[in-house]
Amino acid sequence: MTTGLHAPVAARVSGPERRRRLHLARNFASLLVLLIVIVQVYPLVWLFVTSLRPAQEFAGGNAFGIPSALTWDNYARAFASADLGRYIFNSLVVTGASSILIVLLGMMAAYAIQVLGFKGSRIVMGAFLLGIIVPVQIALVPLFINYSRVGLLNTYQSMIIPLVGFALPTSVYLFVSFFEYIPKETYEAAALDGAGPFRVFFEITMPLSTNTVITVVFVNGIFIWNDFIFANTFVFEETMKTIPLGLQNFIGAMGSVDWTATFAAVCVTVTPLLLVFLIMNKAIIYGLESGATKG
Amino acid sequence: MLPGRSRTSVLVFLVPPLLLYAVAVALPILQSLVLSFFSWDGVTDLQPVGLANYVKMFTADPIFWKAFANTMIYLAVCLFFQLGVSLFVANLLSYAGRGKEVAKTLYLLPAIISTVAIAFLFQRIYSYEPPGLINQILTTVGLGDLARPWLSEVNTVLVAVSAPEGWRFTGLYMLILYAAILAVPKELEEAARLDGASTWQVFAHVRFPYIRPVWVTTMIMAATYSLRGFDIPYLLTNGGPGQASELLTTYMFKTAFRSTDFGYASTIAVFIVIECIVAVGLILLLLRRGTDKS
Repeated sequence: MTTGLHAPVAARVSGPERRRRLHLARNFASLLVLLIVIVQVYPLVWLFVTSLRPAQEFAGGNAFGIPSALTWDNYARAFASADLGRYIFNSLVVTGASSILIVLLGMMAAYAIQVLGFKGSRIVMGAFLLGIIVPVQIALVPLFINYSRVGLLNTYQSMIIPLVGFALPTSVYLFVSFFEYIPKETYEAAALDGAGPFRVFFEITMPLSTNTVITVVFVNGIFIWNDFIFANTFVFEETMKTIPLGLQNFIGAMGSVDWTATFAAVCVTVTPLLLVFLIMNKAIIYGLESGATKG
Repeated sequence: MLPGRSRTSVLVFLVPPLLLYAVAVALPILQSLVLSFFSWDGVTDLQPVGLANYVKMFTADPIFWKAFANTMIYLAVCLFFQLGVSLFVANLLSYAGRGKEVAKTLYLLPAIISTVAIAFLFQRIYSYEPPGLINQILTTVGLGDLARPWLSEVNTVLVAVSAPEGWRFTGLYMLILYAAILAVPKELEEAARLDGASTWQVFAHVRFPYIRPVWVTTMIMAATYSLRGFDIPYLLTNGGPGQASELLTTYMFKTAFRSTDFGYASTIAVFIVIECIVAVGLILLLLRRGTDKS
């Protein structure tokens, strides 16, 4: 149908003619989609190819063509010059702990607001919603000062606290919208059976929320894994660095820039998330779609 | 309301999330507001200065205004990719045949790569010596005159640092818009088409009005995320050369952690928050006027 893009009111077309046009348009659209995908993905493919390209060849000018040979040397140099394992471990700790807290705290707040209900619950909800539009930069200076007072700089907590805090609003919001769909009768029946708010939370609300949990974890997990601004502000010690920070440091650690080794390091650190993404892409895409369309 | 709940049970569920939210978000916002009325280098005592920081920001700081103008251009470039290109691709995808699922996955890939890796990548793509991807392509197609050091020329650097941010999230917003397009009732479009409407007319009169609420959500997300954009300009050029690619966020960061002028940095931070709230307000206003009209 792209063929009729600028036609004024098109004359009514007969059946077979319509089908032929539709077919043509479909092929044209597919071709364009393919082209755009290539533009979108080529830089990433190039990044990977470069990580396997001999260093001399990259420096010698053939940086974008087909490599003459493939080598793992870059990976060896990458591992030798930085503690990539340590960065990955730190990122796993921060992402894991943050995700658990975002889900648990978000679910608890939503449970109190939507299921238990209390006077002023709308005000609390409003306070959370405000956090969605507040940019993270506002917290950098105050948190830096507060952390240095209580000795929290260079710790996992220094990253986890703001990462959870700024992700909490969307988490609360998603859980509240989901809890609206759980019929009141479910709770009333449970209450008649003598279940208190705690049992209802653990035995009804929590098990029903699996899909929303997946959505919340993926939407936030990607951003947390890649967080640069909090890590860059609150962490300077080598042993506490997460992947984004460690990578940035990579160039400095080498003096002159060893690009092929740097790209090898990028590939190593991207791999965990990439694997999760490729295996779980259906769930992630579903999560991202529903996460936004519900908002 | 759950029967049999007690005040204690509400508190048990509500206090932990609120406490964390207070420590991480609410308290820092208040602290920034307070600090914006002081002068402080982090070592000596706080000096109350009243509105002096705000007066300085609005009347005596050309860098602030330069950074503000740059932020607006950065926003425009990001929105071009994230609202324009993504909407176009989402529509294309809805007409395409096989392979949609694969295309969706691949299109989303840049969104999961860290900004640090993306900054490395684009540093090479924009490179002049040795020639990076863009300059090589320009030379190959005979436009070698246009080749230039994109990141060190004052005229090109701002768009050059904005494009990667727009590029990396195009897939994400495309996906959201595509999901919305799928929800448009097929009969509506079919009926319009049988009445002889062109593809453009179907889009403008049936499809777009239908996905409009989602498009507005997308716009709010894209606008607020772009206004707080920081990583890529900070990593690629650190605001340079001169102040040519300075954003409010990078300026605020430097003021705080290079010049250790915490008071003035807080003033800029407060301004960034207000800017985001105003942007959301304007978008919602636009939405209301749009719905009144139709």
